[in-house]
Amino acid sequence: MKKFDFKKYSKQIITAAVIIVICIIFAVLKPAKDELLSRTSPAMQEMIAADENSTRKRVTVTYNDLLVINYVSLSSSGANVMSEKYVGLLGSVYSADEGGMKVVGQMVNYTYRMLGCGENLMHGAKLTILLTTLTVIFGVMLGTLLALGKISKNKILAKISSAYIFFFRGTPLLIQLFVVYFTVPGICGFAWRDLFPASDAEAVYKGAFTAALIAFALNSGAYCAEIVRSAIQSIDKGQFEASKALGMTYGQTMTRIIIPQSVRRMIPNVSNEFIMILKDASMVFAISLMDITTISKNIMTSEGSYLVFIPALVIYLLITAFFGYIFDKIEKKFSVYE
Amino acid sequence: MSDSYEYILKTEHVSKRFGSLEVLKDINLAVKKGEVICIIGPSGAGKSTFLRSLNQLEKITSGKIFIRDELFLHRENDHTVDKLPKEKQQELLLEMGMVFQRFNLFPHMTVLQNVCEAPVVVKKEKKEQVEVRARELLEKVGLSEKADEYPSRLSGGQQQRVAIARALAMNPEIMLFDEPTSALDPELVGDVLNVMKELAESGMTMICVTHEMGFAREVADRVLFMADGIIAEEGTPEEIFTNPKVERTRNFLNAILEA
Repeated sequence: MKKFDFKKYSKQIITAAVIIVICIIFAVLKPAKDELLSRTSPAMQEMIAADENSTRKRVTVTYNDLLVINYVSLSSSGANVMSEKYVGLLGSVYSADEGGMKVVGQMVNYTYRMLGCGENLMHGAKLTILLTTLTVIFGVMLGTLLALGKISKNKILAKISSAYIFFFRGTPLLIQLFVVYFTVPGICGFAWRDLFPASDAEAVYKGAFTAALIAFALNSGAYCAEIVRSAIQSIDKGQFEASKALGMTYGQTMTRIIIPQSVRRMIPNVSNEFIMILKDASMVFAISLMDITTISKNIMTSEGSYLVFIPALVIYLLITAFFGYIFDKIEKKFSVYE
Repeated sequence: MSDSYEYILKTEHVSKRFGSLEVLKDINLAVKKGEVICIIGPSGAGKSTFLRSLNQLEKITSGKIFIRDELFLHRENDHTVDKLPKEKQQELLLEMGMVFQRFNLFPHMTVLQNVCEAPVVVKKEKKEQVEVRARELLEKVGLSEKADEYPSRLSGGQQQRVAIARALAMNPEIMLFDEPTSALDPELVGDVLNVMKELAESGMTMICVTHEMGFAREVADRVLFMADGIIAEEGTPEEIFTNPKVERTRNFLNAILEA
């Protein structure tokens, strides 16, 4: 096993390190809740004092525990009357709505939200990563079967595989998703949420996720089939002949000789497919699932922040970089013999 | 039962056509156990095709192939007329080991794994036993210290010797060599030929397609000269090399020996 190549991944490591260091600084230096309240503007303090004496509470103090941005907001029967945001940095408290700090404050805020609390980008990232990873795993397995079918001497099998690939590559993924989510249960008379116990509060989402995974895997299988097929066909014919001369059956030849060698050749393309799915995963918004893209759009709409997309982009980049590294490792592992 | 047959391998009227191109025309050959046969001839003569059709890497167009006097396969006009049951065929095919021009080692396996693969997977032998035998074979071809290397780390000559050991691990009765030294650098040819010589001396039945005239002359019991899909001349090395009767053979040998 080769040692970790720090030089090669310096870009990714530096990005991650900078983000972590910034978060630690902000977390360590965050003001205490009381301190924060004492530093609000005079107008806000007046409102808070008035509210404490009133019978109808109008002030909601949202103190974001994890950190950096702290909200003090005042609402009256649902409507936001007054709201202040503060960034705790180096012991100072700034109003996040003032000048340049507004940008910094919001960026830091969303970075935190993506790192984990409430309905946030991190939840979206979890869904995106889970969906993408499982899709690629099932897609490659299905793709391998389809590829073997397509190159098999059995004409019926070859035709079926070709037709499958033609269909799933020739129609939009979004409609395939709709068909799996709406049409199939409609015809067969079941609902995706019924797959999970009614007591499960998240049954609806789990059901939708299952449907999305099936649609994505079926679609990805068609693309992976072409990847696997071209990898298998790139293996020297001599390998088949040597196996046959040694008395190995077609199945033994495939599983022991050909496929292990093709794995290495398909990794760059599978890595590509992974990145495509990662981005296609945003389509799940259509069946009410929340991935990174959907959640950042929601945050934008509900809070009027146009900055949320920047951390969203960063998350995508981090995921891509991380899995790029994993695929690299796998490729190395499979090419020890070269 | 092992010696109750006359010919270990026999072909009758074997021909092979690729589309309109007739590669083999009516080839008849009978091989006795322990015989070493070298097939020489210009490229395109059908030597490799003939060798490959013996162990079914190519399907013959028509003709009969006998193994141990049993009719293994009989085809006419690309249709199988008669053949042994599949299991029996498979069993007899295992008696033929093949060595290729381009080695065709399994690159993702170490040398030892290459040698052990088929006995373990095909013959279901115990891995430990096969490994002992594999190491002996590697010793025999002079590569025992390379057992744990991957083929890509070996020279062409070493790879070819591994390929020979790999074929021998199946304990074949006949070894087929398809131009085993043609893809090698000249200085590596000797090692491979030495292994083949030892093998011949140990009594192995061998059919070698080769361009190594020195080897053919020294080791072969019989030399076949093939040209244009037929066996143009056949005889002992002495007859073929010193006193060829057919003009085509003479021209070929002159061209080779002058080069």
